[in-house]
Amino acid sequence: MDGNRRTFLRRSLVVLGSVAAGGTAAHKLLGQGTPENKVDPNAPVTPSLTPDHQVVHVCCGKVVPNPGHDGQVAGMAETSARQGIPGRKFVMVIDLSKCDGCGKCMAACSKMHFIPPDRQWIKVLRMQDAEHTAPYFFPQPCYHCDNPPCTKVCPVDATFKRQDGIVLIDNDRCIGCRFCMAACPYGARSFNWARPHDPPEALEEGYPPEHGFPRRVGTVEKCDFCPDMAEKGLLPGCAAGCPMGAIYYGDENEDAITNSQGDMQRLSKLLLDRSGYRHLEELGTKPRVYYLPPANRQFPAPGAVSPESKI
Amino acid sequence: MIVTDTQIQHHTSAAITSPEADLIATLGPMGRRQKLWLACFAAVCAWGLIAFIHQLRIGLAATAMNNYFSWGVYIINFVFFIGISHAGTLVSAILRVTGAEWRRPITRMAEGITVFALMIGVPMIVIDMGRPDRILNVIIHGRLQSPILWDVCSVTTYITGSLMYLYLPMIPDLAMLRDHPVGFSPWRRKLYRTLALGWTGTPEQKHRLERAIGAMAIVIIPVAISVHTVVSWIFGMTLRAGWHSTIFGPYFVVGAIFSGIAALITAMAIFVWYFRPYHLERYITLDHFKKLASLLLAVNLIYIYFTVSEYLTMGYPSEGPDRRLLDSLFSGQYAWQFWTMAIIGLFIPALLLALPWTRTFKGILIASVLINVGMWLKRYVIVVPTLASPFMPIYSTTGKPLSYIPTWVEWSITAGAFSGFCMLYLLFSKVFPIVSIWEIEEGQHDKQPRPIATSPARPGIGRRAGIALSVLIAAACLLLISGRARASQVSASQPAATQPVAKVSLAVVTEDHEKLIRATVTALDGKPVENASVQFFVCRTFGDLKLGEDKTLDDGTAAVRFPTGLPGGASGELQFCAKLVAPASYAGVYATITDAGGALVKPVADPFPRALWAPHAPLPLLIVICTLLGGVWITYAFVISQIIAIYKGTKS
Repeated sequence: MDGNRRTFLRRSLVVLGSVAAGGTAAHKLLGQGTPENKVDPNAPVTPSLTPDHQVVHVCCGKVVPNPGHDGQVAGMAETSARQGIPGRKFVMVIDLSKCDGCGKCMAACSKMHFIPPDRQWIKVLRMQDAEHTAPYFFPQPCYHCDNPPCTKVCPVDATFKRQDGIVLIDNDRCIGCRFCMAACPYGARSFNWARPHDPPEALEEGYPPEHGFPRRVGTVEKCDFCPDMAEKGLLPGCAAGCPMGAIYYGDENEDAITNSQGDMQRLSKLLLDRSGYRHLEELGTKPRVYYLPPANRQFPAPGAVSPESKI
Repeated sequence: MIVTDTQIQHHTSAAITSPEADLIATLGPMGRRQKLWLACFAAVCAWGLIAFIHQLRIGLAATAMNNYFSWGVYIINFVFFIGISHAGTLVSAILRVTGAEWRRPITRMAEGITVFALMIGVPMIVIDMGRPDRILNVIIHGRLQSPILWDVCSVTTYITGSLMYLYLPMIPDLAMLRDHPVGFSPWRRKLYRTLALGWTGTPEQKHRLERAIGAMAIVIIPVAISVHTVVSWIFGMTLRAGWHSTIFGPYFVVGAIFSGIAALITAMAIFVWYFRPYHLERYITLDHFKKLASLLLAVNLIYIYFTVSEYLTMGYPSEGPDRRLLDSLFSGQYAWQFWTMAIIGLFIPALLLALPWTRTFKGILIASVLINVGMWLKRYVIVVPTLASPFMPIYSTTGKPLSYIPTWVEWSITAGAFSGFCMLYLLFSKVFPIVSIWEIEEGQHDKQPRPIATSPARPGIGRRAGIALSVLIAAACLLLISGRARASQVSASQPAATQPVAKVSLAVVTEDHEKLIRATVTALDGKPVENASVQFFVCRTFGDLKLGEDKTLDDGTAAVRFPTGLPGGASGELQFCAKLVAPASYAGVYATITDAGGALVKPVADPFPRALWAPHAPLPLLIVICTLLGGVWITYAFVISQIIAIYKGTKS
């Protein structure tokens, strides 16, 4: 009996040793050690352009073609797409008193992102909270939550939250399990069920997670808060396309937001003065999209409809 | 050690032949009928494979799933098969640990169900994936925060454990087959010789095998419970009506045991019928069916209790989304499926099993089959109606009620899966004895019930080593924590100035203890301009934020208050801009100035902390997962060490 136990212990030690060796391999899985921190200073470098239009010098040894892109360079670009823009906290405010439900935000967004007709990244819902309350139009993009339920459940880190607050999807990594779609309480995500038919102009550009096309079959997509536009100081497609100026967009760290009509406002003051709120706050997801209640609206109320029915 | 069942089942005394002869005969050549059945299963399985290839070609558009119903029958099948896999472990392991003697003829069958149900159930997840080609990402980029990774870990552990648990008690039988005088074909001889590990039945070998089986029987119980709990958490961890329930873990575990026992009873009946020339009924008697039926009834009642508890707690307070879900279940779109499930899957079986005059072989078998159908429907009722009632609509619809009707591809793959299960199970029963021969003989020889349990020291060692392992891993993780930030600046663009007819200069001044931004407007000749309107802005990324407007005085100055609390750049710098708007001849003239008087935005210390939503898992979660897995795998290592010892013992 004792002999057995000793033999067993000795063998477990061997097993433990091999597990420790395997742990080195698990390093990437568990730890935060990023290999790019340990660049050999003598290694040859090559200039490279990142998606945020910056020239960086990348160690030649690290530039490897990503099999997912045809001939595109991954590595540095992917890191920056995942990190986001430092010092920024992008935010959206939607003024429900200005939305007349024209749907031009959906059209502008769909045009910009080549979205097929069976889905929308921003939806305009016609809402009525209770039988005798006023109906109103409710534009709903992805909320880019600060406690994102979709990102929590992603098994492969394909959907991720950046430091500028934006939640993106890496369609070169997504395995198509659709757990994020089940987890998102706002129904913000769509799936590429069939092989996509992107127009030629969508195919011309390479794929970065920042604009989500060309599409990949069997992967999830959603509103991306247009980080490629924000990079240039431009408003997202929906905000720029709203003729009523109902959609404000900006940087929380600058305390300033603006809409398509150039109505620049202090975020904190606007939320304070107009009783800004976030939809379904009780879910604890901490959305980055605020709403201003549909009080003193500038157009007739939409006709009475059944609660939460759709346009 | 409490011996709960001292009553030994007496096998039919009319048995003329020995169990060995009877049971080895089941491995003989297949009859025409048996071959026909196998061919049918193989054909359906092949058809399912064709459907899957079609789905691979055109994507998941081949299914009826859409952005509302993002999961469908594949997930239902997955939960169903994982459910019936509990037949083996929980029935066989619990009966072994408690020393219930009547278990002997049915444990092999039960353990077989586990292995084959897992072999069919796990690929269901791969079939459901949009990108099965990227399956390795789960290992390369795996995030332990995701319940899917919990599933990967626990299902892998479960498959390994259940294979070992099926194999271990088979070793003496394999040796018996190896030594059997009747000639098997050469490949079979080789197979039996290899797998028997040189077993000769020495006391030392028996001792080691007993300890290994004992350790496995104990460790497999928490593993099995964890598997179905984690499966339920795939639903339970989401913010969805009907899924986000605290009782989902135990509810699913009970459901799994429920459908597992029903599957076992069905399999027993099928095997008695399938092998009727070999008199399996001598070993699997009515008494076995009745004993399992009592167990099934108990679990049935617990499941009814859980179901009532779940729906009553949801329905009584009647929160919005819960209400909508329950309406669709009780009287709406899914009422048909729900009530069918409740009546044929829960209430009729409970009656059949409870009433003495229906507690016959037929009654028990009918109840088991109904339970299997009902439990598949139950999983449908869990998955589909919840997806139909989200908090927010997924997309604009045409007003038609949403529906999910699986396509031929989904049904074909489902049929293929069930056929594949039957085929694997039948093939297994033709290669390996489906009833454990040595355990029956042992049961016949021993007058005393033999408690089979591991010595308590084993799990203790496993746990200690598990803690050591997790401490190692946790220490490694701690070392790897590091922060990083990469700064990038975005500069605001400025419009080109037109031909200036006046000049504006800007300054930040303090007058009467008040900080002001002061613009001085002068004509080209240097004279101050009076009564010109100046607008003051602060530059922001998406445009200029207006601070105010002022008219110049006779000294050409206009001023606004310096904004309070407005965040500036990295060191608090704010860029101000003054624009002339009137008189019209001066419009468009502007000047800018940068001043460090803005509020400082505190930089986030670590934008990517360890969190459930971040790339790196919180340490407590890592430690718990590593400890649990470490404990189980070290027990497995012990069992494997025993197998190796058995093998080496015969060599020397």
